[in-house]
Amino acid sequence: MQTLDLKQSYFELFGLDLKFDIDLKQLHSEQQRLQAIFHPDRFVRASDQEKRLSVQQASWVNEGYESLLNPVKRARYMLQLSGLELNDESETTSDTGFLMEQIAIREEIDECHSNADPLSCCEHIAVRLRSKADQFGAEFVASFSQGALDEARLTSRKMQFVARIMDQLMDLQIELEEELEI
Amino acid sequence: MALLQISEPGQSAAPHQHRYAAGIDLGTTNSLVASVRNGIADTLADTDGLHLLPSVVHYGDAAILVGQAAQQMQSSDPLNTLSSIKRLMGRGTEDVSRLGEVLPYDFVADVDSNVPRIQTRGGNLSAIEVSAEILKTLALLAEQTLGGELSGVVITVPAYFDDAQRQATRDAAKLARLNVYRLLNEPTAAAVAYGLEQNNDGVIAVYDLGGGTFDISILRLNKGVFEVLATGGDSSLGGDDMDTAIGEWIISQASFKDIDAQLSRQILMAARAAKESLTSLEKAEITIQQGDQHWRGGIDRAQLDELIQPLVKKSLMPCRRVLRDANISKQDIDEVVLVGGATRMALVRRMVGEFFQRSPMCDLDPDRVVAIGAAIQADVLAGNKPDSEMLLLDVLPLSLGIETMGGLSEKIIPRNTPIPVAKAQEFTTFKDGQTSMSIHVVQGERELISDCRSLARFELRGFPPKNAGATRIRVTYQVDADGLMSVRAEETTSGIAADIVVKPSYGLTDGEIETMLRESMDHAQDDVAARMLKEQQVEAKRVIEAIDAALIYDGDDLLSKTEISKIRQVRDQLEQDIEVACADRLKKLIKSMEQVSETYVARRMNTSVKAALAGKQIDEVKL
Repeated sequence: MQTLDLKQSYFELFGLDLKFDIDLKQLHSEQQRLQAIFHPDRFVRASDQEKRLSVQQASWVNEGYESLLNPVKRARYMLQLSGLELNDESETTSDTGFLMEQIAIREEIDECHSNADPLSCCEHIAVRLRSKADQFGAEFVASFSQGALDEARLTSRKMQFVARIMDQLMDLQIELEEELEI
Repeated sequence: MALLQISEPGQSAAPHQHRYAAGIDLGTTNSLVASVRNGIADTLADTDGLHLLPSVVHYGDAAILVGQAAQQMQSSDPLNTLSSIKRLMGRGTEDVSRLGEVLPYDFVADVDSNVPRIQTRGGNLSAIEVSAEILKTLALLAEQTLGGELSGVVITVPAYFDDAQRQATRDAAKLARLNVYRLLNEPTAAAVAYGLEQNNDGVIAVYDLGGGTFDISILRLNKGVFEVLATGGDSSLGGDDMDTAIGEWIISQASFKDIDAQLSRQILMAARAAKESLTSLEKAEITIQQGDQHWRGGIDRAQLDELIQPLVKKSLMPCRRVLRDANISKQDIDEVVLVGGATRMALVRRMVGEFFQRSPMCDLDPDRVVAIGAAIQADVLAGNKPDSEMLLLDVLPLSLGIETMGGLSEKIIPRNTPIPVAKAQEFTTFKDGQTSMSIHVVQGERELISDCRSLARFELRGFPPKNAGATRIRVTYQVDADGLMSVRAEETTSGIAADIVVKPSYGLTDGEIETMLRESMDHAQDDVAARMLKEQQVEAKRVIEAIDAALIYDGDDLLSKTEISKIRQVRDQLEQDIEVACADRLKKLIKSMEQVSETYVARRMNTSVKAALAGKQIDEVKL
């Protein structure tokens, strides 16, 4: 059976250039092309060793796909490829302005519930968060391309914060929709 | 009968290349088996022409009954007649009390295992053993219909089944001695049947409300690739809950003094009957009669809707989540496909239609579509379609996490990640001389460990004693294409694989399965006898049909009156004995049937039909 070079980067695996703005269509079609070769369904009647290999390679393709699909994960992965050791637990941001902003947004989200039109209140925050995400994405690209990796890492942390708040906001939206039966 | 029955053209061409494969829908209420024959996937019917096998098993004094026959024992022998057993698959003893109202059985505490067992005449049984009986019956039906041994099967499970529930299904198949190619998610199976039959591409939502489980999946279909974007659901929500709601209403209307297992079963059955007849009628009559307790009343559509509305509403919450996880809006969905018997109800169709803002598609038989999709995949996996481009890309339904300090769950692999997938984590020792470590793996979305489903505790042992922090252990969590998890661990500095002891939180240990397999060997002889009898009965029916067809076609032309009456005599004897005689007797009768019609067959072959007969069945020739 065919085997993949597990030492190559995910960017190489999917035939993509090492940069933040990737062609998501290509990522998707390459993932499907690779799964068509390595998916365990192609090896149900093969030897145990081939089955194991297939699970390993198909898993690796999926892990790569997920790592590049999600912008935050993609940014973190690029930093890792550049030799940075990342630790989610111990890393914090000391940018007080950013932290204050985050706290303010969280408070706003909590207040949405008592708003007369809670859903559009959520939507307003979502729009702002999306533009924040875009802004940090652009900042990441700038720092990374200049080789300012530490700065890029801090930006990637901010991207992570924003993504988490976005998740919370979506949870609230679903709860509200449920209450309002939309 | 060898000479009258000539094999089908497709099979005789290259019989050694074709592998018999089947798709099995192991349902809460009904189970089905389907297979691809001559390029067409369809569910298989039993000798009575029924496609749906009620998922009911009766443990009698002498024999185990499965299906219709078992269902008939439900009222008279409720404690030995097990139904809706799928609800217990992969469940722990403490779940039982919660499900107790739906499952009126005698549960027994089992200190040696963490699997709930039901006390029956057939012993203290786990859901796995009961499910194995249903699987055996379906596999036998498939082998008899297809005329050969199954090389493999695809068994469907609710997409929202967790690891323990999937493992239980695999174990049941192992007990039934089936080679499982794949566990396939029910909505994905439905999408395969829908996509291939309708030849449609696009984004579809599969809303699958079965007897006991609810699934919602969003898939993208593109040229034979079925990509699950997100899946969600509720593994204990289904038609059964509607029956219970109606049953509770009946109890509130009537004033029964004392409700025992028998009466409660009768109420549930009456509730289900009322629910089903309200699919087509506006009003249903209910009569409960047991001993001196009786009640008669009516229920109309509006009343029914009021009772089940909260349950349908409950199903809409996962629909919202799944849209969000798939990152699409309602407008992006091209089609909503309904699956599962409960989607026949008008209120379900209306509420689902309102939610997705489009009228759902119901051209496919909601009871059969899952088995058909599974059969299509089984056929491909068996290698019968080497040119097939079909590819099913599924996802993990529930996040996998591990327990961290303070009883919290740390997500290792989030829900809706494409599978198979592996994730590695590094740990380090926190005490000097530490040589072991334990990992508690859970499944679910909640923060607190106690709100998640415990899957297993892994004890990693045997790494060299070093100072705290000096030993690094790399733990890899692997989810395979069936959605089943495994864990391996190695010490990164030495590369030595750690010794792992797994304690599954629910389900049987490998040891228990071994014992059960060995015990079933003792019963294997009974099984063989039963199987042989069944085979002879099927053969006898086939022979009778063949001879009847032949006699109508050319009996009068080729045979004298005496010859005909001789043949008829043996034929009638065979028909008379078919249900009562043992396998040997039937075999002898079939043999004498062959002998008595030998000349007839020879004459038929010698006439001009000889050529026309080649490679065809007699009833085909006649047309």
